[in-house]
Amino acid sequence: MLLVILMAIPLLGTVALLLMRDRFAKIPFVITLTVFVLGLFGLKDVFGGIPLTYNIAMPGPFVLNFQADSLSAIFVILSTFLWLVVSIYSPKYMEHEGRGWSFQLCTMLTLFSVLGIFLAGNMITMLLFFELMTITSYFWVIHRWNKEAIRAGYFYLFFSIVGGLVVTLGIVMMGSATDVLPTIGSGMVTPLNPTLFGWSIATLIVGFGIKAGMVPLHLWLPHAHSVAPTPGSALLSGLIIKIGAYGLIRAGEFTGWGIKLGDSMTWLASTLLILGTLTMLLGVLNALIQSNAKKLLAYHSVSQMGYIILGLGVGLYLGADGGLGLSGAIYHIINHALFKVALFLGVGVIYIHTGETNLYKLGGLWRRFPVTAILMLVAVFGITGTPGLNGYASKTILHHGVSLATETGAPWLIWVERLFMVVGVGTAASFAKLYYLMFFGKPTELKINDEGSPKLQIAMGLIAVVMIGIGTRPEFLLNSAIAPAVEALGIENISTTLAHLSFWNFHDLSGMIITLTLGILVCWGGLKSGIFHWHLPTYMTIEGIVKLIVRGIAAIIQIGLKGYVYVVESIHHIGEAMSSRLCSDLRKFDKSKSSTVFGINLIGITADVAILILSLGVIIVLYTLMNPSLL
Amino acid sequence: MLNLVLALLSGVVGALIVAVMPKVRNRIRNLVVLLFTILGAVFSWRVALLVFAGKNIKIAGEFAGFSWSINPDPLGVIFALIASSLWIFAAVYSFGYMEGKHNQRTYYTFLLLALSVTLGVAFSGNLVALYLFYELLTLVTYPLVIHERSPEAMKSGKKYILYSLSGAGVILIAIVITYSLAGNLDFAGNAILAGSTGSGLNLLLALFIIGFGVKAALMPLHGWLPGAMVAPTPISALLHAVAVVYSGAYGIVRVVYSVFGHELVRQLSFSRIMPWVIAFTILMGVIIAARQNVLKRRLAYQTISHLSYILLGVFTFQPWGLAGAIMHMISYSTLKVSLFFCAGIISEQTGEKNIDRMRGIGWLLPKTMVALSVAALGMIGTMPLNTFWGKYYLMKGSVEGGMWPLAVVLVISGIINAYCFIPVIVDAFRGEKVQGDTEKGSKVNLMLAPTLLLSMVSILIGLWPGIVWPGVEAVVNWFF
Repeated sequence: MLLVILMAIPLLGTVALLLMRDRFAKIPFVITLTVFVLGLFGLKDVFGGIPLTYNIAMPGPFVLNFQADSLSAIFVILSTFLWLVVSIYSPKYMEHEGRGWSFQLCTMLTLFSVLGIFLAGNMITMLLFFELMTITSYFWVIHRWNKEAIRAGYFYLFFSIVGGLVVTLGIVMMGSATDVLPTIGSGMVTPLNPTLFGWSIATLIVGFGIKAGMVPLHLWLPHAHSVAPTPGSALLSGLIIKIGAYGLIRAGEFTGWGIKLGDSMTWLASTLLILGTLTMLLGVLNALIQSNAKKLLAYHSVSQMGYIILGLGVGLYLGADGGLGLSGAIYHIINHALFKVALFLGVGVIYIHTGETNLYKLGGLWRRFPVTAILMLVAVFGITGTPGLNGYASKTILHHGVSLATETGAPWLIWVERLFMVVGVGTAASFAKLYYLMFFGKPTELKINDEGSPKLQIAMGLIAVVMIGIGTRPEFLLNSAIAPAVEALGIENISTTLAHLSFWNFHDLSGMIITLTLGILVCWGGLKSGIFHWHLPTYMTIEGIVKLIVRGIAAIIQIGLKGYVYVVESIHHIGEAMSSRLCSDLRKFDKSKSSTVFGINLIGITADVAILILSLGVIIVLYTLMNPSLL
Repeated sequence: MLNLVLALLSGVVGALIVAVMPKVRNRIRNLVVLLFTILGAVFSWRVALLVFAGKNIKIAGEFAGFSWSINPDPLGVIFALIASSLWIFAAVYSFGYMEGKHNQRTYYTFLLLALSVTLGVAFSGNLVALYLFYELLTLVTYPLVIHERSPEAMKSGKKYILYSLSGAGVILIAIVITYSLAGNLDFAGNAILAGSTGSGLNLLLALFIIGFGVKAALMPLHGWLPGAMVAPTPISALLHAVAVVYSGAYGIVRVVYSVFGHELVRQLSFSRIMPWVIAFTILMGVIIAARQNVLKRRLAYQTISHLSYILLGVFTFQPWGLAGAIMHMISYSTLKVSLFFCAGIISEQTGEKNIDRMRGIGWLLPKTMVALSVAALGMIGTMPLNTFWGKYYLMKGSVEGGMWPLAVVLVISGIINAYCFIPVIVDAFRGEKVQGDTEKGSKVNLMLAPTLLLSMVSILIGLWPGIVWPGVEAVVNWFF
């Protein structure tokens, strides 16, 4: 029952917003606070290992099914917390942006559908809320209704809908492969048809990968996330793309976390590993060359999603020993959500005061905004993995997972580990660049207004406190929430694995320090040499390649269509020619003066004979048709 | 029995009354039309309930040496329910749309006649009755197609009647052959040709499919459909997206499941070609649709594509596939009618028929464009709408029948549908507000009400497919 109440509260908020269009400012805060408190205390017991379920009985093939196990609880608490933070932040921000009411309406509806996704008990319920979420969050993207926003919104809607279709196909295939559609939270299924099952998982990976911004399906992401109003961008980057990761974890649940995959499906884990690494690398490389702060953050979302996908790949690859990968991925989902929201909110504060997100036009702002600068610094330290903040914890676990995979797995995995380090350096470099250009450097020439409000900093501060809390005591969250979730997903030995794990050893600390130092050096070099302004030619970027492929397909279709039209038209012409020829020939019978047609003298044939010949012909035709053996 | 007769006759009686009615005020005639469409729907529902309860209702007789019979079974009843319920929506929409247009008496007369004939197709119990009503449907709808009487309309009408009659002629030959092979044409009981052997059966199946395929707009027999869109919008919506084309698809379902029986068709080599013809039609139809600039033509080509969804479900020979086909038949009809209604409102209020000039139209006609967006999402097959379920079971049928490429074809078709429609929705709410009449006044209200109601029905069925599921289940159990 609690699950439905949790979901009903945002709907209540929507109704309240619709009724009180003039005095809506407090509603989002009250609603999100209620949901957060209720979620936190109501779902606390779930971590003990007893999932909650609730079914809404409906006749027919579709049953609305809800469940909350520890994984769902983590996601629900995380999302309600972020929504709470944003609801503190957004009223002030939306005064600046305009049309706050419609924004809050979308926010409430999106919260409803997001909760629905995380609490769904079967794949179809999940898909229902998945599609709802696409539609409601679409209005965040096009909030500004300008050309850029609408274009980005178009891509967002198109890719999301395609993702939904692909997920549908995956669900169908899974249903066929396992006879009964598996419920979420029920653990591993034994497929009747393993090949089809493998393909269904692959299809689900593609479908959720679109949402998760997995390379090369990430093209929509940077545009959509940077064009929405900042609180919207924060939630899109912080939480909405995690839905893709959530879906991947659930898909993995069906294949069985903790079970060494059979020969037919190892390719799945390797594919995830490679895709995760590519996503990390391409995201960070693109982020380095961005000049727009929000675009930079959006590309970093791609890159950090790469970490998460890599973690999932490691988890799947190692099977029973994959606890590190999986828990690292879940941990990183939480951490990335926190610091990415904080970063977006910080950029939003600067945007309110200056009206600018182009990094090269900003600079020297730390004197004017010392509190924001400090809070941003916390977030930057978080994302770069500085020891003492939350990013360090999850990146360390992920790194341990990758090392383990390298030691025990195939030789090519060494490259994954090397690239992992490269991406760490890239992350540090790009955030050094962001922070330097924004708060230090040449003071900006833009006019700075005084529209701020302490609420903006309170929202950021709330996240910073949580981040520092996680960063200084990383074991607490790991043992109280993530380990139960991973255990429930099927990796039994997670607690012993984590017991051996120490965050504060020399090896990891020094590694991180070296990474950060290298990152700052790269940033310094890049800013001096102007390499950050350097862009690849279009045909070498993924966007360009995809564009070329799409054009190529379009051209092929064009040619095919032309051919088809040509064939149809020529058949039409042949038909017309035949009928006109036939008509004129038939007319000859009537008009012929010499009584000779086709050299046959018609005078000798009387009407009776003609009828006889015709009917004989018809009978012969019918007889042949009726006796199939003659054909 | 009485219900059946009344359901069949309500359209005819209504048509007679409208035809002989002296020139009275439009409102009274509209009331008569509404009354008889509602009667038709009510009696169809009563027949449906009886049939689902397991009753066998039958009227039979002799006609020129052939015995005909009217004997509804679950499949026919579903078709009748779709048609007769949507007829009410189309009638109400017509009251708004036809206001101030010429030749209204002919229009309403033939609209009501077509209702009876469509119900006849649906309820027919053997091939003779099916053939007779099928032919009649062409003749009865011809005056509606040429309603404008413009040269273009006459040309399209000629094309329509030539295509349809040649198709029916092919069916006639096939029926004669069937009769000579089996000596029986009734749908009830086992399939007519069950147990027959011989390679000629392939040819017979081909004849049937070519014949019914004309109305089901199976490529390359679809030529008449885009042209027939010159008819008034309610006619395009009701007849050329639902009633007439469904009678073709319905005929094919009948041929496969009642005439041949799915066990027999499965063995014929011709049925192994059909899925590819259907897949070709699905993709080609929607690709051509994406290149059309006139909204109604885009919808027409899309109809061609979506009709083949139904056929795809039929040719999977799986219970799930058939369930998907029936589900798609039900859900697609509500959404496509709603889409055409939106196109009609747009062209009536702003005079705009071309998609590239519809930028900003959403600010002028917000409700219409919201309904259009809902219907467009449905055409793609996204979740909160009823077409999702059709698509879902079609995919399930294809995968379980071992034809997974067909499921992929469905996904690709969904993607191209998205490419077709998302720009329309997105552009509608962008840029300057266009000039034209707003959504005020009784005329536009009469058009808007059925449109919005249909969108709501679609969402309701989408969220709660249990409403229509018993019907789908009954059909599947009937044939499997």
